[in-house]
Amino acid sequence: MTEALAAMGSVFLDPYLIGLIAVTTVIGVIIGALPGLGATTGAALLLSFTLTMEPVHAITVLTTIYVSATFAGSITAILINTPGTPAAAATCLDGYPLAQRGEAGRALGIAVVSSTFGGIFSVIALAIAAPLLANVAYEFRPPEYFALTLFGLSMLATISDGGAVKNLIGGLFGVWLATIGADHSTSIERFMFGQYELYEGLNFIPVMIGLFAMSELLVQSGRLKFIAQATRIKAVSLPTMADFKKIWKTVLRSSGIGTFIGILPAEGATVASMIGYSEARRWSKNKDEFGKGAIEGIAGAEAANNAATGGAMVPTMVLGIPGSGTTAVILVGLLVHGLRPGPYLFTEQVDTVYSIFGAMLLANIMFLFIGMFAAKQFARISLIPVPLLWPVVFSLAVIGAYSLNQSLLDVWLVLIFGVIGFAMRRFGFAVAPVAIGLILGHMVETNLQNSLKMFDGQWWLILTQPLALLFIVLSVISLFGPMVLRHIKSRR
Amino acid sequence: MSNAGPDKNAVDPSGGRQNVTPQTTRPNLSDIILPGLIYAFCIVISLLAMTFEKAPDIFVGKGMQPRSFPLFLMVLVAILNTILLRQTFRNPPEKRNAVPYQTWLTMALMVLFFLITTYADMILALMVIIFSMALLWGERRIWLALLLAVVTPTTILLFFDLVLEVRFPRGWITNLYYK
Repeated sequence: MTEALAAMGSVFLDPYLIGLIAVTTVIGVIIGALPGLGATTGAALLLSFTLTMEPVHAITVLTTIYVSATFAGSITAILINTPGTPAAAATCLDGYPLAQRGEAGRALGIAVVSSTFGGIFSVIALAIAAPLLANVAYEFRPPEYFALTLFGLSMLATISDGGAVKNLIGGLFGVWLATIGADHSTSIERFMFGQYELYEGLNFIPVMIGLFAMSELLVQSGRLKFIAQATRIKAVSLPTMADFKKIWKTVLRSSGIGTFIGILPAEGATVASMIGYSEARRWSKNKDEFGKGAIEGIAGAEAANNAATGGAMVPTMVLGIPGSGTTAVILVGLLVHGLRPGPYLFTEQVDTVYSIFGAMLLANIMFLFIGMFAAKQFARISLIPVPLLWPVVFSLAVIGAYSLNQSLLDVWLVLIFGVIGFAMRRFGFAVAPVAIGLILGHMVETNLQNSLKMFDGQWWLILTQPLALLFIVLSVISLFGPMVLRHIKSRR
Repeated sequence: MSNAGPDKNAVDPSGGRQNVTPQTTRPNLSDIILPGLIYAFCIVISLLAMTFEKAPDIFVGKGMQPRSFPLFLMVLVAILNTILLRQTFRNPPEKRNAVPYQTWLTMALMVLFFLITTYADMILALMVIIFSMALLWGERRIWLALLLAVVTPTTILLFFDLVLEVRFPRGWITNLYYK
C-alpha cells in the first residue's frame, strides 16, 4: 500500500510528467472543444504518437486526453449549444440557456468545478476499488473469464447509441473481426484472404482510427451547413458560496452515479451524464428551472460524465474489459506497451498502475486551472473552419495508422473501417460495440476453448462454477431484463 | 430508434394481449436491404468458415474446431438480424436524408488517396487530398487551402521521419527527400 501511494505521489514530483500532462491537457481540451472530435477520436489519433514513449507516459497521455476532452465537451455545449463530446449533450440543456442570459462564465465555472470533483472522486474510487476487484479476479479461471466477457458483450445491449439489437449485432461483428488471422490454438488460417500481414489478426489501432476518426470525418462532411455562433463571455468565474450550497449534494450524488455507471462494462460517460442530469432534476427543489439555466443541471451532468472516466478504467485495467469506446483505445495502448490488463498487473506492476492513477488525478486538477483561465480562448478554437480542420485530421489518421508497422495495409484498413463505420452510423448502429467486440473477441473465444478443454467438451459444466454462473445470470438479465420489464409494464 | 412507429402507450382494446397498434407506415427500402445484406454476409462468412482445415484432435481435443466459433457467431447474428427485420416492419425508422454529395466525393477522395499512394507517392497523395477536401468542404481561399496542403504533409514527413523515425514508402517526393 505504501509502495502504491508512493508511486501515485511520485507523479506530482516528476517535472517531465507534469509538463507532459499540462501539454496533453491543453491538447485534450482543444480536442474536446472541437465538435466532432472527442475523447475517443482524440485518443485513437494520438495512440500512434505514444508508441515511442515509456509505458507510463504513453498511458498518461491517453488517460489525460480522456479526462480533459470529456470535460472540454462542456465548453462548446455551454457557449455554442453544440456538445463537443456526446457526454456533454446533457450540459447543453441548462448550460446554453444560462450562457444566453449572459452568465456563460458562471456556467463554465460550475462545469469545471463539478467535472474536477467528479474526476477526482472517481480516481480515488478507482485506486480503492481496482485492487479489491483484482483480488477477486485472482480466482478467475477460463470459465469465469468466459462468462465475464459474455457479460461485457451483453452490456452492449444497453449502450446509449443505437438500439439493443443493433448494438449486439455490432458487438458480434467486432467479435468476428477478432477471429481474422491464425487460430490461436491450432494456427489454422481464418479469413486472411491471402494477406499474410493479417496472420496475427487485425491490428486494433487502424480499426479504431477508422471506426472513430474516419467515420466521424464522413459524418461531418454531411454537416457543412452548420455555422457555429459563439456566445459572448467575459471571464470564467468560480462558483459563489451560494452556488456551492446549491450544487454540492448534486455533485456528490452525480460523482457516485458516474463512477458506478463507468464501472459497468460497456457503459460510459454519455449514459452517466444523462442519469446524473435526470437525478439532479428529480432531487431538485426547483424542477421548473431545469432546461432554463439551472446550475444543478450543469453540475449533475458534468460531475457524472467526468466521474465515469475513472469508473470506466476499473474493468479496463482489472479485467481487460473496456468500460467505454475511449477505454477500448486505452486498453489497446496498454497492450501495445506490454501491459496486459488483469489482476496480475496490480501485483507485478504496482508502480506503473499507481503512477497511471496519479497521472489521472493530476490531469483532473490540471484542467481545473486550464478550464478556469483559458476556457475563453478554447471556446474560440471551436470556431476553426471545418474545411481546414478535417483534412488535417485525415492526414493524422492515415499517417498515424501507417507509422505503427510502416504498413500500407493499416492505412487501407483505416479507410475501409471509416466507410464501414459511416455506413453503420447512418443506419443507426453505434461503432463503439464493434471496437469493444474486437477487443473482447479474442478473450471470449480463447476462454471458451479452454473451458471446453477443461470440462472435456461438456459446456454445461461452466454453469457449475458459481462466479461463472453469476456472470451468466447477469448477462441474461442485461439482455432480457429491459424486455421483460417493458412487457410487465404493458400488461399493467 | 424511431418516432414514426406505433404508440405503445395507446389504449389497447384487446386488453394487452395484442399491445401493438396496426402499422400504417412502411419501412424504407434501404432498411429492408440492410438486413438482407447482413444475411448475405452471414452466409458468405459461414461458407468460408466451412472451408477451414480441420484441426487434429491433439490440438483441440473435445474443444472447438477453428470453424465452429465463427459459425456460431454467424448464427447469432442471423437470429438478431431476424429480430431487427421484425422491428423494422413493426416500427419503421424515420426516413433519412440522402447522403450529401460532399460525403460521396469525400469517399471518392479516399479512393484517389489509395491510387496516388499506390502508384505515385504517399506525401503527394496527402497534398492532393488536403487541397481537394478543403475546397470540396467549402473553403474559398485557394491560397489557404494550398498552404495547408503543403505545410501539413511536409510537417508530418519531417516530424515522423526525424522524431519518430518512420520511413515512408518510396515515391516521387519521398525519393527526393531520402536522396
